[in-house]
Amino acid sequence: MQIENEIIKSVSVNQEMSIKEKLGILSDAAKYDVACTSSGVDRKGNGTDMGNTVAGGICHSFAADGRCISLLKILFTNECIYDCKYCLNRCSNDVPRASFTPDEVCELTMEFYRRNYIEGLFLSSGIIQSPTYTMEQIYEAILKLRKVYHFMGYIHVKAIPGADPMLIQRVGMLADRMSVNLELPTAEGLKSLAPNKHRKNILAPMRQIQNGITESRHDLVLYRNAPKFVPAGQSTQMIIGATPESDYQIMAVAENLYRKFDLKRVFYSAFVHVNEDKALPALPGGPPLLREHRLYQADWLLRFYGFQADELLSEEKPNFNILLDPKCDWALRHLEFFPMEINRIDYQMMLRIPGIGVKSAQKIVKARRMAKLDFTDLKRIGVVLKRALYFITCNGRMMYPTKIEEDYITRNLLSVKERLPFDVGTVTYKQLSLFDDVNIPSQSSVMERVLTH
Amino acid sequence: MEKRVLICEDSLEGIFSAIYDAYAEKCVHDFTRIQTRESENLELFTSYEHMVSCNEKAVKVIRMILNQFGEETYLYFCRALATEDAEKANAVYHVLQKGISEQNRRIMEKFSEECVNKVFELSRYTNNEIMHLRGFLRFQELENGVLFARIGPRNNILTFLAPHFADRLPGENFIIYDDTRGICVIHPVGREWFLMDDRDMNESALEHFSEKELEYRELFTFFCEKIGIEERRNPGLQRQMCALHFQKYMSEFTGNVPPIYDKSKQIKTN
Repeated sequence: MQIENEIIKSVSVNQEMSIKEKLGILSDAAKYDVACTSSGVDRKGNGTDMGNTVAGGICHSFAADGRCISLLKILFTNECIYDCKYCLNRCSNDVPRASFTPDEVCELTMEFYRRNYIEGLFLSSGIIQSPTYTMEQIYEAILKLRKVYHFMGYIHVKAIPGADPMLIQRVGMLADRMSVNLELPTAEGLKSLAPNKHRKNILAPMRQIQNGITESRHDLVLYRNAPKFVPAGQSTQMIIGATPESDYQIMAVAENLYRKFDLKRVFYSAFVHVNEDKALPALPGGPPLLREHRLYQADWLLRFYGFQADELLSEEKPNFNILLDPKCDWALRHLEFFPMEINRIDYQMMLRIPGIGVKSAQKIVKARRMAKLDFTDLKRIGVVLKRALYFITCNGRMMYPTKIEEDYITRNLLSVKERLPFDVGTVTYKQLSLFDDVNIPSQSSVMERVLTH
Repeated sequence: MEKRVLICEDSLEGIFSAIYDAYAEKCVHDFTRIQTRESENLELFTSYEHMVSCNEKAVKVIRMILNQFGEETYLYFCRALATEDAEKANAVYHVLQKGISEQNRRIMEKFSEECVNKVFELSRYTNNEIMHLRGFLRFQELENGVLFARIGPRNNILTFLAPHFADRLPGENFIIYDDTRGICVIHPVGREWFLMDDRDMNESALEHFSEKELEYRELFTFFCEKIGIEERRNPGLQRQMCALHFQKYMSEFTGNVPPIYDKSKQIKTN
């Protein structure tokens, strides 16, 4: 009864709120959700209704934190009956609450989309009353957007764990992508920080969506115009640094999700301290951005470079090297494979050379069919030679006489500064390498310093 | 041997008909260049010829490219020729010439050739800009309900952008206006889009926005502000991902003032 009264109260408060205030509260509440891409499905317009989608996704703007704004990322409501310790919208927090009506969501989406502000809608929600009730609300909004407003753009919807599977199935027929948040990498972490959520409840809708997608693909083989279920696949996200898991555990979880649940993407979200709670770690240095960056690098290695989690990390070495990216790190630990002859090695092995990415590898494979390649050709193709030169030969020769020796190469690779997407590189670098032998300045720079002083 | 420089008009038609002429006049390819503008320094022992564009010749060359090299290569050429690079016409000419002499349908994969790389890079440059502007372009609703977008692209990409937006917004009248070149794409509801220059454009009509326009612009600016995480603030990365020359035309960065319409700054391409 009390809850009902509160809801009635909040609804009446909502009606006085302007759309701008609501948008402020509900986008503020959604900003920590990172799974916000518009990729995965190519759908041409139908000639009358507004909207199409592009497989690669489109970024429409960039926020002050440098993250892309692609979808109108909002919560349907930030009221929540759960009390997850890391979340700004937990029920024990006293924050302004608001809810959209389905019409408001639709109008905002349509008008933003028309002006090319956004690529579509990302709709998530706090839990009101029950997961099923919340999912119903979301379904109603999405249904209206697709059927009444005839919106054909991208829609990404959160599946709420514990909601009626029938509803998730129905939402899946309307949305392009769905995601279920894993929240934390392990079940123990989840138990300690999100007392109302259970690992089992999270994995169940994930499995349901996976099966739905497989079935839908099967139907499409038989009937070309069969309706598509979540055509852009599903994704998930987990918070990094709120619980004590190692990088190895996180990568193993991600690998399992890709393999066993056919996920399109796993997103890693550096933990941002928004609540004061004794169960949460103190992070004096701000969110663990470098760690997040390394995890994304490794994630790419899993998805596009044919690496496996246990090649990159192990029980004995459970965390990524802060100084070197995971691929360089792997190469340095496996010098027995190098140097590789560019004109001969196969594509899969080529992808393992630091400084050669998917695009350059594809270009090399094409170009070497027609002519023998040398270092100038590689440079033209876009290989980062300052990284690759220690690991490759062209026509049996290395670019410069170099030693194939771990310390020597590490020292040289470190002098080529990696471009990190945030200002943490320099600080971490110095503090950590104070007593390390990896960062001894080269002879020439010592000489220079002596001469200048 | 005397070098020949063929100077042609900066358009697909001009460049392709110059290539046709280079073959018709049996030029020695290693000693021939095609340029779209006059050289700043004249060279000795070089003859400079101004070529006349001819639609018929251009069509023949295009047909030949499509037949012998396929559509993908043709699109590479078109995108490369949409740039403002001084070497573009010459690079395309030499790729084509190498492809023909080697009978190599996949000439665009021979990255060990410098001209192939040049065309590839130019094409990628244009393509990146197309990709960016598909997202960064901003429509504003005018008083009469027409959507108007102003862009300042470095390459001539209107014809690449138009199909995307025509497919996306079939029920809208929209105009995309290229600030640097003074040309625009017009898409009337239910009809094909077309290109036009800005001679007949009514400038005063472009400054009257619909009632809702300012409201939505403000809402989106507000949204962009709210969606950033303060703890992760990183203006450098923001600028890297969305360069300032794009931000100049995007309402969420310029505030609520629409960009000023300034005809004097245009580069006239023809």
